[in-house]
Amino acid sequence: MDKILLISDNQESSGKFSKIFAKNTFDFFVLKDELMIMDSITVYPPDVIIIDTFSIDIDFKTIIKKIKSANENIVITLFTNESINTHDLVKYSNAFITEEMSDKLILSTINMNLKTKNSLEKLSNTNKDLADSLYRLNALYDTSSKLAGTLDKKKLLDYMVEGMDKSLSFSLTCLLSFCEGENPVLILNSLYELSDELIEAIKLRTILNYKSLFENSKVPHNFSEEDLKIVKIIKYPATRFNFSLFQFDNMFAPISLGDDFFGCVEIFKDDTFQAEDATCFQTIVRQVTLPLKGATLYQELIETNKELEKLERLKSDFISIVSHELRTPLTSIKNALDILSGGKCCDINATAEKFFSMAKRNVKSLSRIINDLLDLSKIEAGKMEFNFKECNIQTVIDYVKSSLSELAKGKCINLQVESRDLPLINADSQRLEQVLTNLVSNAIKFTPENKNIYIRTDLINAKDIKANPLFKDEIKKLNGDCVVVTVEDEGIGIAQKDLKKAFDKFAQIENSLSRKVGGTGLGLPIAKQLLDAHQGAIWCDSVPEKGSKFYFAIPVMKVGVPL
Amino acid sequence: MKKILIVDDEQDIVESLKFVLEVANYSCYCAYNGEDGLKMAKELIPDLIILDVMMPKINGYKISRLLKFDNKYKDIPILMITARTQEEDKKIGEETGANEYITKPFELDEVVKTVDKYLK
Repeated sequence: MDKILLISDNQESSGKFSKIFAKNTFDFFVLKDELMIMDSITVYPPDVIIIDTFSIDIDFKTIIKKIKSANENIVITLFTNESINTHDLVKYSNAFITEEMSDKLILSTINMNLKTKNSLEKLSNTNKDLADSLYRLNALYDTSSKLAGTLDKKKLLDYMVEGMDKSLSFSLTCLLSFCEGENPVLILNSLYELSDELIEAIKLRTILNYKSLFENSKVPHNFSEEDLKIVKIIKYPATRFNFSLFQFDNMFAPISLGDDFFGCVEIFKDDTFQAEDATCFQTIVRQVTLPLKGATLYQELIETNKELEKLERLKSDFISIVSHELRTPLTSIKNALDILSGGKCCDINATAEKFFSMAKRNVKSLSRIINDLLDLSKIEAGKMEFNFKECNIQTVIDYVKSSLSELAKGKCINLQVESRDLPLINADSQRLEQVLTNLVSNAIKFTPENKNIYIRTDLINAKDIKANPLFKDEIKKLNGDCVVVTVEDEGIGIAQKDLKKAFDKFAQIENSLSRKVGGTGLGLPIAKQLLDAHQGAIWCDSVPEKGSKFYFAIPVMKVGVPL
Repeated sequence: MKKILIVDDEQDIVESLKFVLEVANYSCYCAYNGEDGLKMAKELIPDLIILDVMMPKINGYKISRLLKFDNKYKDIPILMITARTQEEDKKIGEETGANEYITKPFELDEVVKTVDKYLK
């Protein structure tokens, strides 16, 4: 029933209006005292106020200002005559009625104003709802963009609670989280202070809630009550919640995706949750699960990586320790052999000499194997140090030729070097000597007596290098002009299917042919790693029974570019 | 006869070094750990010390540093022996004042030659 208040001390007009409105089912009442009028506006606000301007005591302008400041939605109608100032009329009131008006006209004027008032109210409510939804949407958007920005599980859950606070303005959220370390944590975000007894009750309630999720199956995380850590975040610690908290409206949801269970959340509010609130709550909880899953996977990845790194380090440590331990006794064996074979203790006959040299040869080969192993483990662990300098490849070739000429002569192999002027390269000459020594001594190893080995050098642009297609990935690593060294032998050759394997670790072990000639099979993998460090490449080609060609290339130094 | 002190916890290595150096006409004294080595170095004041890096308790670096920073002993040449694995050893060895650096496995002749360089 619409309420109409008449402000008047005039009996006559009171009677007149009472007659009009009582007949038409309005709640009509008359007041004249200012205090009572203001009380009525706050306690029992009328929809329409009619102010009788003929009443002498009341200044209508003052009272209207007061009414409007208390409640601006009330329709103000002035009961006046034509003499009223139009400006005042427009400024202070919504309508006016006069003594001359018929009852019907008065009634219709009031009705029309009431209708307008109702429509305006509806509009304003809708507007408010719209603003609310917009705010909530913004909060959701803000939350989801924050959730997308981190892989930290703790932060993800913080953002979730923050989002709930913004869009649902809760009194308390209880978040049971399994995302922080070993033990579960109960995070309480509360508007007001919580007593220890209340927290205990909340704790029990949360555990029950959690267990109720898995009534017929095993709970994903088993924990005892004592292990549950409590984190309390209070917004206004001066005020306290009491046990009536449990009568608040609440919502509960698990935070899980598939088999991954991250926790659960309950939210309390000292007001009723609307249908949209529930949707909003579910949306936020759903939104946090995917990034939580991502974070879990990311964490696992990091842990696996750490594990792998540890294993890798262990491996290289192991090799380095083992080689060290092997080297010490080997040194003693070698020393003893040197002393004995040097004839300083006793006379040596031809047979003894033969066996001494056999023992010495094997000590030498064992120590080479250990050195190879060490080199490889060092390179793989990134501990190999390189001394890059301007370097002339011809110097390297000359050194290797002279150091291996004795070995070649022993097999009557002719070691031929085609030398030419080549640009400088940026390289560690000692490492290049190691590479070339390996290639040439391999060639000597696999070439029968009275044959030739050629060492050639060329200057070729990377895109003009023609290599066996098996090595096209290796060639791709090269850029610009390169110095290419070729070691060509007339040996037993390598089958096409084995060409690539030559650079694999321990590849020779499987190759029965090379067993006869010995070697660790580590020389070529080491050479490959050393060339990688030089931004170079190594590859080979072969015709079985005719011979093999091993190539390596190193980019030419660019003029003016500092080392 | 010139006196040489050999300090190494590997007895076999000490034996072989002692043998070749005695053949080369040096008188050799041996210590099998760092403590004894340091003590003997101070008592004996040898003409040269051969020192292993990896030893329990007092390692070769410490001994070298203690001797080389003492005016009384700083002129005694020190030959450091270490495994090739510790290339960074060389740097530290130089910082601690060792005169020479020999890597395992070494040639006995090489050691004798190096000793000769300092004592002949």
